[in-house]
Amino acid sequence: MKLYYFSEMPHHEYPDAEGDKYPSLRLAFPNTFFSPEIAQRNYQRYLDEYDAADQAGFDGLMINEHHSTPSCVNVSANMTAGILARTTRNAKLLILGNILPIQDNPVQMAEQVAMADLISGGRVLSGFVRGVGVESWWANSNPVHNRERFEECHDLIIKCWTTPGPFRWEGRHYHFRHVNPWCLPLQKPHPPIWVPGTASPETAVWAGRMGYTYVPFLVSFEVARELFDFYRQGAAEAGRTVTEDKLGFLICAVTADTKARALEAGRNFVWRMGPTLRGPIEYFSPVGMRSRAASQFALKARSVSLSKMTYEELVDNYYIVAGTPDEVADRFARVRRELGIGHLLLEAQESRMDHATTMRSIELMGKSVIPAMARL
Amino acid sequence: MTPREETIAVGPTRVEVLIGGVGDPLLVLHGAGGNRGWLRWMDAVAERHTIYAPTHPGFGRSDAADWMEGIDDLARFYLWFLDVVGLRRVHLLGHSIGGWTAAEMATMRPDVIDRLVLVAPTGLKPEAGEIRDIFYYPPEELFTHTVFDAATIPERERLFGRPPTPEEAEIALRNREMAARLTWKPYMFNPRLPHFLPRVTAPTLVMWGREDGIVPLICGEQYRRLLPNATLRVLERCGHLPPIERPDEFAGIVLDFLRRA
Repeated sequence: MKLYYFSEMPHHEYPDAEGDKYPSLRLAFPNTFFSPEIAQRNYQRYLDEYDAADQAGFDGLMINEHHSTPSCVNVSANMTAGILARTTRNAKLLILGNILPIQDNPVQMAEQVAMADLISGGRVLSGFVRGVGVESWWANSNPVHNRERFEECHDLIIKCWTTPGPFRWEGRHYHFRHVNPWCLPLQKPHPPIWVPGTASPETAVWAGRMGYTYVPFLVSFEVARELFDFYRQGAAEAGRTVTEDKLGFLICAVTADTKARALEAGRNFVWRMGPTLRGPIEYFSPVGMRSRAASQFALKARSVSLSKMTYEELVDNYYIVAGTPDEVADRFARVRRELGIGHLLLEAQESRMDHATTMRSIELMGKSVIPAMARL
Repeated sequence: MTPREETIAVGPTRVEVLIGGVGDPLLVLHGAGGNRGWLRWMDAVAERHTIYAPTHPGFGRSDAADWMEGIDDLARFYLWFLDVVGLRRVHLLGHSIGGWTAAEMATMRPDVIDRLVLVAPTGLKPEAGEIRDIFYYPPEELFTHTVFDAATIPERERLFGRPPTPEEAEIALRNREMAARLTWKPYMFNPRLPHFLPRVTAPTLVMWGREDGIVPLICGEQYRRLLPNATLRVLERCGHLPPIERPDEFAGIVLDFLRRA
């Protein structure tokens, strides 16, 4: 099983009591609490940690993107991929992902991912996401069109990568008269496509039909299995066989020299389960963004909100794994047994977890956990 | 009085229509909250006018129209509706996004509008302030900005007195989705509309609640200024829903205005 290192690049250097005064940390919490001086240091630090994860032997580095939130100040997944393409040597660069529906220029998106693939020597895994509702607000993109734009943006990007230009594109949401990008990916026919999921059965079915790698984020094993069933349904429709290489899972994880230290470090993940997800449903799932089926599934998938769980419950239910290297290796092996996945994505830095703790965790993962997982 | 309900096909799109009353036809276009049925103010107005109150495509139980992109599409749709129903010339009353739709219709076909009543219409960018983002707030919070004093609404019990049934909740969601489809960007206004409003020939009554917490009153002044033959009537102690908040006064003002035709 392959392991991936992921940092959300948080900006949690403000008094929590200030954030509590607003309806949500997303959209509503004023950016007067953003410190350019701190962010300058943090970006260097987070990128150093990515470099260390590459050197430690992680199979991949996962990069994401959010907007208008202190939980993630990585505001451009492709920019970060471009940097890591130069500073890292071996790990795959898993962009998970580019938020397609809010893009107004899929051709530029195709160019940027291609450029990162070229600079990295063909190491890009290109993830496509619909984004949480916050991103639709940020871009002022009509959530009613979210799924249509996701699929059309995807179709145009794939066409950019696979069909010689120049060509014309006149879709419902995108219109380009002369498409001829002079930047094409190194990997052929194009970088592998990955798709995450939290609640939408349609996305799982679609990913299965397309044969893309599908990764549920922070859900219970039971919900992940259901989503994988939807994925298999889509794959079957298209006559595809599902191998473990097509299935992944994301959890939070940290290791340390002692269990006590790891459990202390793991508490930092609670912030992303609660405060950063707090807010009106209108922010996270604006009207029209979710289908009725997805809304119903979301109710089931999140019957107990992550924010309502104690740290101990989050650990017991595998949302957070924290322990010595042997302990986390055991728990990762259990995740693999439960879900039959080929890829385990580790959100491995969060909130106020300090640099030393993060680096030690990366180092310990490299020494024994990654080799142990490679043998599974 | 009890109106009759009809399903009317406009091209392939069928819409539900409440029809009731006697006299010159009055087309009534509802706001983003959807068609709330036959309301108290309509009883009074229907004594002198035949009211046609359709449910917009995508709202209520009317057919979907996912192809629509904006309020101008809805305006063209209702001009077509008039053709289908055989109404050659009508009084037109629209509330909120229905008012915006009515204003667009009047710029497209001034000749088919006899008298025009715009009730707290969206459609213009306020010269000061903002149109409240109705999609950004939880419904309960939004409601407090929508009406001035819910306790004084005569039809409160019938309209808001109990939790919605599952079917009503589904319709409310559908209404919000279609409203978002039609108004998302630019939010609730058409930057080209002010350039066309001078084309409108119908005598126009613009009505506004003084305490409107959704669409700033200044938009009413802008409409009055841009329309060639408009007056602005402001209702005191009233929010964004004059037809519901002040049904009797509202009906009286509408009847008086239409009587002058």
